[in-house]
Amino acid sequence: MLATLLEFLREKHRTTPMWMKVLIPVLGVGSLGVVAVMGAFLAFVVTAWLGQPIPVLGFDQSVEQPIAFPHTIHAGMGVYTDSTGDQVQGLGMDCTFCHRTVTSQANAGVPPVQFCAYCHQVIGGEESEPLTQVRTAAGIIGDSPHPIDWKRVHRMPDHVRFVHEPHIRYLTQHPDKVTNSTSGETMGAAGVCSTCHGDVASMEEVAQVEPLKMGQCVNCHRDNDAPTDCASCHH
Amino acid sequence: MTLQREKRDYSWGMVVDVDKCTGCQACVLACQAENNVPLNLQDRFERARVMSWIRVERYWEGEFPDIKARFIPIMCQHCENAPCEPVCPVFATYHNNEGLNVQVYNRCVGTRYCANGCPYIVRFFNYWEPVWPEAFRNHLNPDVTVRSRGIMEKCSFCIQRIRRGVRNAERENRDVVDGEIQTACTQACPTDALVFGNFMDEDSKVSKMKKDDRHYTLLPHLETDPNVVYLAKIDTDKSAGESHG
Repeated sequence: MLATLLEFLREKHRTTPMWMKVLIPVLGVGSLGVVAVMGAFLAFVVTAWLGQPIPVLGFDQSVEQPIAFPHTIHAGMGVYTDSTGDQVQGLGMDCTFCHRTVTSQANAGVPPVQFCAYCHQVIGGEESEPLTQVRTAAGIIGDSPHPIDWKRVHRMPDHVRFVHEPHIRYLTQHPDKVTNSTSGETMGAAGVCSTCHGDVASMEEVAQVEPLKMGQCVNCHRDNDAPTDCASCHH
Repeated sequence: MTLQREKRDYSWGMVVDVDKCTGCQACVLACQAENNVPLNLQDRFERARVMSWIRVERYWEGEFPDIKARFIPIMCQHCENAPCEPVCPVFATYHNNEGLNVQVYNRCVGTRYCANGCPYIVRFFNYWEPVWPEAFRNHLNPDVTVRSRGIMEKCSFCIQRIRRGVRNAERENRDVVDGEIQTACTQACPTDALVFGNFMDEDSKVSKMKKDDRHYTLLPHLETDPNVVYLAKIDTDKSAGESHG
């Protein structure tokens, strides 16, 4: 039986032309590759539709900022490695220290570079690359001050009018509704941000962790007796 | 016939005193600026595709030289019984519980049924992607969606201002004060011909003005029950009650 099979294969090996011997494995591997790419594409589309897209095909949620600003050292409470390799204690600063308008306005606000300079004209060594960039932008080093082109991480579509202020107000008054908080702190504006933004204090490079799609908004609004009228957000 | 309105917190509405209107068009300009309405350049007029959430219509009354110009500002009447609402196949326009006829831009698919149903001709369709001159780059209102091509838009009673006013009142833990929330047109009106307020509040300025003998609504025979009430022009030449705007 086995001998017959081997004989058959030998016969095939003799009679099959060379180009076909090359083509068959190429087609096999190639079609597997096509299936893999299509599968990755489908996975990306389906997950992007349902929530956060999984980072196949090179798309991920992190954004490279012009200056490597570490939220960990500023907002975190642990011990972190800074840009020069030193171990530094996290400051545990409140989110609202820099994002000042979050409790009163629609936008959380990113501080001007002069705001960074208040501390960093003194704090931090001269050999640190990000701090040199900050000081250059603030005009402490050289004489060409310029604003920093921070990249937006959490972007709402244009037809959504999101206002931070009432959300912070509600969650501050209802600490039991706060989720995602890993530090266990649920009081004050900084404690409630995690509900939508995740534990930013532990992120070296801030990424969007919640899908922040309309389904998530509506579910939360329903659970908290918030308005679900379309015109509350779309106008 | 007036439909029985259910009890609710707010019933936003406007009273337009036609007697005070001078036809200055300040409301038109204010609305255009507030609500990111595309510019009406010459080609829009030539194609009869002008977009203007509020417009001042002009009539001539009498024969020259005994002739009078009559002005009447017309914006979305926010009808309680709106002809535009039931025809929308995707529920992009509906009546919310504050008496507003709401247009949800991201739901709209652009069938234009609503504009055909509107007897006041206050709905406008975006036939083109809106374009502003480069100088207007930072002039758009960030609180208002820029409508793209293919969707319907209309007066929203400056819902972004209503939201802000209600939000501020909630933050300060108080009721909305009458006159606190103003639409762009009422704020711009130099003669206070346009007044905006809450009809549910019996003491509000609009509620009091609505009781004026001169009040009327546009096209009342259609029974749309508008939330915009007009006060008729007082003509000193004629006996009272004869003229209607």
